[in-house]
Amino acid sequence: MKVVVCVREVPDTETYIKIDASQKNIVDANVTFVMNPYDEYAVEEALKLQESAGAETVAVCPGSARADDVLRSAVAMGVQSVIRVNVAEPIWDGLTTAKLLAGTLKEMDFDLLILGKEAIDDGTQQLGPMLGELLDLPCISLVTKLDVADGSVTAERESGEGVEVIEASTPCIITAQKGLNEPRYPSLRGKMAAKKAIIEVKEASVGNVQLEVTGMEYPPARGKATVVGEGVEAVPELVRLLREEAKAI
Amino acid sequence: MYNKVDASIIEKLTEIVGKSNVVTDREDLLDYSHDEYSLDDIAAYPDVVVKPQDVEAVSKIVKLCNANKIPLTARGSGTGLCGACVPSFGGVVITFENMQHIIEIDAQNLTATVESGLMLMDFYPAIEQKGLFFPPHPGDESATVGGVIATNAGGARAVKYGVIRNFVTGIEVVLPNGEIVNFGGKFVKNSTGYSLMHLMIGSEGTLGIITKATIALMAPPKEIMTLVVPYENLHDAISTVPAIIEKKILPMAVEFLERETAVLSGEHLNKTWPCAQGKAHLMIIVDGSREEEVMNLAETISEVCLANNALDVFIADTKSKQKDILDIRSGIYEAMRNYMLEILDITVPRSQIAHFVDAVNEVAVKSGMWLPTYGHAADGNVHTHLMRYQWQDGKWIEIENWEEKYQTVRKELHDLGKKYKGICSGEHGIGIVKKEYLKSFLEPEQIELMRGIKKTFDPNTILNPGKIFD
Repeated sequence: MKVVVCVREVPDTETYIKIDASQKNIVDANVTFVMNPYDEYAVEEALKLQESAGAETVAVCPGSARADDVLRSAVAMGVQSVIRVNVAEPIWDGLTTAKLLAGTLKEMDFDLLILGKEAIDDGTQQLGPMLGELLDLPCISLVTKLDVADGSVTAERESGEGVEVIEASTPCIITAQKGLNEPRYPSLRGKMAAKKAIIEVKEASVGNVQLEVTGMEYPPARGKATVVGEGVEAVPELVRLLREEAKAI
Repeated sequence: MYNKVDASIIEKLTEIVGKSNVVTDREDLLDYSHDEYSLDDIAAYPDVVVKPQDVEAVSKIVKLCNANKIPLTARGSGTGLCGACVPSFGGVVITFENMQHIIEIDAQNLTATVESGLMLMDFYPAIEQKGLFFPPHPGDESATVGGVIATNAGGARAVKYGVIRNFVTGIEVVLPNGEIVNFGGKFVKNSTGYSLMHLMIGSEGTLGIITKATIALMAPPKEIMTLVVPYENLHDAISTVPAIIEKKILPMAVEFLERETAVLSGEHLNKTWPCAQGKAHLMIIVDGSREEEVMNLAETISEVCLANNALDVFIADTKSKQKDILDIRSGIYEAMRNYMLEILDITVPRSQIAHFVDAVNEVAVKSGMWLPTYGHAADGNVHTHLMRYQWQDGKWIEIENWEEKYQTVRKELHDLGKKYKGICSGEHGIGIVKKEYLKSFLEPEQIELMRGIKKTFDPNTILNPGKIFD
């Protein structure tokens, strides 16, 4: 069995993000880029299959040489081999990213492709379903439990009404939701080994980018919380504030 | 001995701070009658709480109290653990929620000057946004700058860079006679007479009221790495620490904890402790200027750990993972607080810490009291929770006869602290609840000198009476 995980680099959530002068991109300097947290669930699930079923594991990441760090993190966790699909500039267009990766993935002959349900920088949740379409494979998104058998998978996903249980034949695509597993921290030994890992670089041409970022702005500053009071007596004032000031009801 | 707060005093206080900054309602005063220490027997209500906006107002309040012999207690966020901000004799409590401003971040002197009511949770991001770093990290970030200076707080990141005392360069203080003085300044060196500033740091509000502080900052370490190291037992985990120090490595932090407490805290915060192996863990933070340097440190530490029976060595190499781990470690207290009686703060030489903790665990077995113990392994500062409840099979169960056991166990643990050449408080202070132990840890001459100092500063004993010593 061959399991491919698609990982992406995103700014660390503990980094202060600044928008650059063009107002269309962020300032990269002083930003630490890390593996997208949802992709860590994907890596962990692949590693579980590596350990339990002897699966071969490969991680693929689109990006410039800077993204090598993310691939080394995947190796440090235990992934066997890694490929970077070389692109110089960040792509915000989900479809362009999907097409770019589909070219590489098409040749990989995998049983399972796992990726995070979304990258936390653009949060579009497009990549998994779009890859499904481009590769003509079933895609189960937002998976919180995965069982892999010979030639098929059974996955659970939470929906508004309850838990959906879905079966698909392999090869197929899974997007990982929080709760699927607890991603492991790399061991020091893994981290040392990752320093020496060979990263295969594949050139790919970025097609016609259809989506253009026209502007970025900071979210509005969060207001300070106010304690209106305690118990039943506080309710009328709370309702008044919600109605008159917050205009929420 | 003291005069009562009467209507004319309230009127004068109202003139100084305005009506909205005077609290006299009994129900509202409840919040100011205690700190984080759990038992009611030390609680005391103030007669009035005042919230001044500036140092001049503080000065007027102190002059008023001094002239009328009214006890006055300064209070930060009330996150203390030994009753130090409880107004034992009633009177006036002064709080600093209207004095939370960052006055200046001086990049050329690498200092920040702030008002004493500023909370750490607002301080850290403000300086980090300017690309600067303040190493001390007392667990509760809602603590105020004034409060952590008054108790000389420490926290996890003290091993390499030191405690609050090592970072304060200047303070503005209102003396018990109401005079405003400035101790220290923006100096790196200062040999100009006695250091009254250092006398003020850790004096628990008994010598003066801190209204402003200048704090030394530093450039953040370029590379930080957090290691989580699992062991089968606490003894092996702690025994590793002197061996690391022996290698001439001084990490930023070395914490020891039992996995059970880390899991409990993680559940409380909805975060996952990164390691399921083993029963006891070390959390080690190393820093340096280059990745290679930090990796080399980590490698050496790892070798020492594995030679001391560590099961593996895990790494958190991103800021968000490092924050998760530090949050879980800092959150243990919060996860336990509703089920405990007291958290102790005994500090022993770091070479003694494994023996001391072994002895604490023997007391736990003998007494039947749950005594989860964790703390700052590389600076010898051990936190033992005296628990009223025990966490068993996912439930909190009240420990039988906890009232009787509490006092006996408490005394036994302090006796052990003495046996292993320790002190009774490393960072929480003495306040009310550890007064009884001060005598057994310090010579009578030392306490007499402290009394003399108190008398010189505060001849009328109006500032925070009944604290540290009687």
